[in-house]
Amino acid sequence: MKTITKNLLAFSIGLIALTIAFRFSLSTMLQNRLFGSVWIVATIYGILIFIIGWIFGKKEKMNLPLYDIGFRFHLATYIICNLIAEIWHLIGLQSEYENVRILHLTVIYWGIGLLIHFIIYLVTRKNAIKGIEKSEIFE
Amino acid sequence: MSTNNQMSELLSAWEETYKKGQLTLWVFLSLKDGKKCVDEIKSFVEEQSNQTMTCKSQSLYRNLRKCQHVGIVDFETGEGNKGPERKYYFLTELGLELLNSFIERNINLFFSKQIKNLILSED
Repeated sequence: MKTITKNLLAFSIGLIALTIAFRFSLSTMLQNRLFGSVWIVATIYGILIFIIGWIFGKKEKMNLPLYDIGFRFHLATYIICNLIAEIWHLIGLQSEYENVRILHLTVIYWGIGLLIHFIIYLVTRKNAIKGIEKSEIFE
Repeated sequence: MSTNNQMSELLSAWEETYKKGQLTLWVFLSLKDGKKCVDEIKSFVEEQSNQTMTCKSQSLYRNLRKCQHVGIVDFETGEGNKGPERKYYFLTELGLELLNSFIERNINLFFSKQIKNLILSED
């Protein structure tokens, strides 16, 4: 099955840019003790991720409706968000109010969610031929 | 509502449902006729179906991409009439076998004597 597509790549590049911008804003705000305003940046970040996911996910379906119940986009999001966050801490760009333990816990709990998503995908993909749902091939 | 109106609406409703499943057959028939680019497939389908089937190029591209992905259609690039290279689609061996099996199981029924008589009878 074709897994890395043009739309997935475009989504990943957008997500990398957004995540770096988010990490930078978050650390800067926390360092300046703007604790009450952090939720605004986090909300904007979440909304923008949703929008680019929506746009490229829809394009992906129009181009070739690969049956993966969103797993490839979820996996890309998991890798990019967690990798950037971990690297951010590793090279010491975090604020003094950020706790690396929270990041590690996020990787674990989100990883469990991702694993469940993968299992559901494996169970339901029987309805697909070469990655396209049977009912969609001749639609 | 007059009987004529009702008849016309019922016919449209039936045709709309019926045509939805017909496009693949028409596209495959056009490819059985020979390699074609999307514009040629579109023309073939519309002409050969006496304009009862219409299709947008975008939908055709999408359908052909799916068929190519599952291995029943493939393409080769060739020069178009007016400049840029075009994709010329054709049925693969699997695609041709699939079309023939489909015709045998679903279309040839209409050529049996009994069914043919029923279709042609006026009553």
